[in-house]
Amino acid sequence: MTADPADIAALSAAGFALVEVPIPPACLPGVVANLAILARHAAIARAAPVDPRVEAAEVFRP
Amino acid sequence: MDADLTSAASIAREVRAGRATARSVVAERLADIASRNPAFNAFTAVLGDQALADAAALDATIAVGADPGPLAGVPFAAKNLFDIEGLTTIAGSKILRDAPPANRDATVVARLKAAGAILVGVLNMDEFAYGFATENAHYGATRNPHDPARIAGGSSGGSAAAVAAGLVPLAIGSDTNGSIRVPAALCGVFGLKPTYGRLSRAGVFPFVDSFDHVGPFARCVDDLAAAFAAMDGPDPADPVCQTPGPVSDDAGRSLRVGVLDGWFRTGATDEALAAVDAVAAAFPGAAPAALPGAEAARSAAFCITAAEGAALHRRRLAERPFDFDFATRDRLLAGLFLPAEAVMAARRVRRAFQAEARALFERFDLLLAPATPCAAPRIGEATVVINGQDIPVRANLGLYTQPISFIGLPALVVPVAGAAGLPLGVQLIAPPWREDRLFAAARALEAAGFGAVQLPR
Repeated sequence: MTADPADIAALSAAGFALVEVPIPPACLPGVVANLAILARHAAIARAAPVDPRVEAAEVFRP
Repeated sequence: MDADLTSAASIAREVRAGRATARSVVAERLADIASRNPAFNAFTAVLGDQALADAAALDATIAVGADPGPLAGVPFAAKNLFDIEGLTTIAGSKILRDAPPANRDATVVARLKAAGAILVGVLNMDEFAYGFATENAHYGATRNPHDPARIAGGSSGGSAAAVAAGLVPLAIGSDTNGSIRVPAALCGVFGLKPTYGRLSRAGVFPFVDSFDHVGPFARCVDDLAAAFAAMDGPDPADPVCQTPGPVSDDAGRSLRVGVLDGWFRTGATDEALAAVDAVAAAFPGAAPAALPGAEAARSAAFCITAAEGAALHRRRLAERPFDFDFATRDRLLAGLFLPAEAVMAARRVRRAFQAEARALFERFDLLLAPATPCAAPRIGEATVVINGQDIPVRANLGLYTQPISFIGLPALVVPVAGAAGLPLGVQLIAPPWREDRLFAAARALEAAGFGAVQLPR
């Protein structure tokens, strides 16, 4: 964990460079709010009691 | 025309018998759409000239004694993410307006036309199908025919509203997380999300390939089944479209019906649960049924949706961010940042949840669950009060549909009139490829008095 603004700025820049999509400043509040929602859902999915050996296949058949 | 031509079945019967012409049926529908659609904003384009020409061609077919097909002369409309030859597929967006027109019809559109149905127009939706409201920033909100101050649901809101208002007897839409079932419930009509891979998605603008389905809306089960039958069949143009194997015969035995509890009875209004109980009462012996992992399934569906949706639109997000509806854009942008590890975890949840459902279907033939937690919210309403709590509308209308589409189970929404006069819906859920069982159960419910919710006079 870091609270150093320089570290956070570097991490953010690296993240934006990774997705290669510039986030317009006007969009940041909405994106951050949606990231919080996604983070909550990701945490619920990660916490599910699923054997990690279960296949995460890309092609799904019902 | 003296016969009641409000259902697809009655129209096809009269046209096939030569007691009505397809052209007269279509002309009447076009006039009605011109008159009443402005109140609902269900259509984004009406294809009047082409529809009249197609109808005249069908009448000519009948005149020479050829079979015009089982849906002869039945007007239908399609969500504007289906390719229509000669028309630009906009998928509810501004960005795609300048794209070239489609050079052929989507497979299911072509199959409906081949069955004799006449396409009369295309329908409003949430931008790129990412929403449950059809409050479209570019084309306006679609209004619920039961109360124009309320949403029609989404993302196939135009499809549900057009059928509920009686503008067309049949419409088609798509369902990724609930986009057929939510608007069908809120507009009080029947809607079918078939098994994942059952109906071809070729020529349908995608959203989340892992969960995308297409299906019909209608005001009665026979019409829903007829539309499904016309669209059914393998299609090599859609890599997930399969031919189902043989299924067991349910004839002569009572269905074992389970009423999903736990997650599926948490967070809903009393009237939404009462609707489920009313449907359950029509099946003697219906019993509570537990489907563990539904909350994780819903969350995992949320993550995969965000990731796949963001991947699909990445270039558009980079090049034209301000041409998106801001709500769609910010959700998609957030999806770009979801780590691959979270998506892999979500896929494992999918496998595990599928196993839970398979085990449950060893004990039950059919499952029941609410389609939505509440009746249609008002347009522009960000939250609704459920059991004394303020609940965000857009995020929660798919609470009970997302876990089901996540594992590709077929689900049919049966409309139920709520206590306040607004419609609600109940999902009938079957094992994969058992659409036949859904239709049989829905027909039994129709015989017991359930049906499309009547519009207020």
